[in-house]
Amino acid sequence: MNIWESIRTAWQSIFANRMRSLLTMLGIVIGVCAVVLLVALGQGFQTSMKTTFENMGASALYISSSTDKAVKSVRELTLEDAEALADPKVAPSIAAVSPTLSQSVNASYGNNSVTVQCMGVMPEITKIRNYTLEVGRFISEQDIITRQNVVVLGYQTALDLFGSESPLGKSLRAEGNKFQVIGTIQKMGGFAGDSYILMPLTTMQSKIVGGNNVQQIAVKAISPDKVDSAIAEITSVIRARHYIMPGGTDDFAIRDMREIMNSMQQSLATFSLFLSSVGAISLIVGSIGIMNIMLVSVSERTREIGIRKAIGAKRHDILLQFLIESSALSFTGGSIGLLIGVGGTLLVGDVPFFGSPGTSIQPQISPTIVILALAVSIGTGLISGTYPATRAARLDPIECLRHE
Amino acid sequence: MLELENITKIYDMGKVKVTALDNVSFRCEKGEMVSIMGPSGSGKSTMMNVLGCLDRPTSGSYRLEGRNVSSLKDNDLAVIRNNKLGFVFQSYNLLPKLSAVANVELPLIYNGGHNRRQHALEALESVGISNRAHHHPSEMSGGEQQRVAIARALINNPLIILADEPTGNLDTASSRTIISLLVEQSKKGITVIVVTHEEDIAAYTQRTIYLRDGKIVEERKR
Repeated sequence: MNIWESIRTAWQSIFANRMRSLLTMLGIVIGVCAVVLLVALGQGFQTSMKTTFENMGASALYISSSTDKAVKSVRELTLEDAEALADPKVAPSIAAVSPTLSQSVNASYGNNSVTVQCMGVMPEITKIRNYTLEVGRFISEQDIITRQNVVVLGYQTALDLFGSESPLGKSLRAEGNKFQVIGTIQKMGGFAGDSYILMPLTTMQSKIVGGNNVQQIAVKAISPDKVDSAIAEITSVIRARHYIMPGGTDDFAIRDMREIMNSMQQSLATFSLFLSSVGAISLIVGSIGIMNIMLVSVSERTREIGIRKAIGAKRHDILLQFLIESSALSFTGGSIGLLIGVGGTLLVGDVPFFGSPGTSIQPQISPTIVILALAVSIGTGLISGTYPATRAARLDPIECLRHE
Repeated sequence: MLELENITKIYDMGKVKVTALDNVSFRCEKGEMVSIMGPSGSGKSTMMNVLGCLDRPTSGSYRLEGRNVSSLKDNDLAVIRNNKLGFVFQSYNLLPKLSAVANVELPLIYNGGHNRRQHALEALESVGISNRAHHHPSEMSGGEQQRVAIARALINNPLIILADEPTGNLDTASSRTIISLLVEQSKKGITVIVVTHEEDIAAYTQRTIYLRDGKIVEERKR
């Protein structure tokens, strides 16, 4: 029997039982949808990670105060700690040091207002992180000394606050103060995204946070293979400055980029596992549903099978007919799932990475996803159709013709 | 042309063995029209199933055009049913979701025939029902459905038409139309075998064989 003929017959049968077919497909729809989202997010994550690595560099280290409860008294990190690390005689493996502060602030210009991460930085930060100016200038040594009310805006924040206007020289309002925009940074992407405000560390200390402390010290090793010796130098310098006895626990933590990436990747793996479980379970449930409906269909159409056999249908004609029918059912469900998955992905756009603001993954739809989803759905149809179709093909034509 | 020789069919029902056909021999020539009569349980249906290549005899041989078909495999039997045989059933057995012409086309689908639609329309024409070609079985009377079934049986130019109580569900007028159609086919050279309960239907045939307990007990020529 002609394949096209079988496909047409299958379609007629699916359409004749619209409601039943739709309900049967639901499992496959959800399963394929989950698979699409999984792959889209996975690919988006890979891209974000690559960009982030490029922006931050593999030789970057971040020192912050310890959050370990076992440490009794924690001395906060200070500007002086950072200055000590910047001395090449004390720490020869360190190329650049930039203490930073960061806090979420409400910034506004005219009627536009955004809540955005504000970072207090030193000019050295550009040696550690890959900020490329779009227009204007970056924060200078002079700005630090004189505690100037100046800011540099991330690409997205500039867009959110100023739209098509040029932000250069204009003043925005944040936490009760006015800050003049001196520059904007090009679009970077990655997990950190492009929503942020940079200002001189000293300005941030006096106008926004208060006090002399810093939250984090960003450090760059002179080369990626000197990361380990840089960690050793940082440890000895800070321990000495914080009066920690030999054998005492560090009251600070050093994280390198690899570690941060690893932990992010681990969270993604957990998330992927969750999504693939949902996908797998839906596909299994869906295929059981299809198998069930196909068995119903075979028994409903026993007489038809008998007639077809009497007029010359061979076993494989009947087998093919039911296999094609189950695949068509599953394929249709898979296509609907694919459309919903792709549509949903495009509609939602950026997904915040585990709810933390300012971080994002841009899910990506590739031809691989489309092929994978359709292959999975046809495969499911074939697997779940095999048993009912085999049963139909083996039926005895005489018994079938007697069947009411 | 068609020859059954010492055909025995035994159904093994576990504890009991039922002999449905007991050493039956029977032959039939091209263009002959034969009726089979007998009480229920006499083996008529089993004989039709064997003749129709839907079932294999337990022993004995069935020769069709000189070829022994009694021990062929399922797929080979399917090919014979498709090419050499045409079935007409008491309850018509048309597929309800297909139009008359699509039903008539079905046997051609299984042998990859070309110009299927055209052939099917011609077959409907030859049984005088081309005006109903695009109607579904549920929109037709019993007599009309049976004519569609005969068109389907004729589509592959069969050697034999096997009609199992073809008029069993029809009124007298329709019965006469159907049996005349079958007589017409036998005159064209197709062998027609009819199972019936009705003497006046059997009266149309050249020869009647009577079955009882799986044996041919009487044979009457007209």
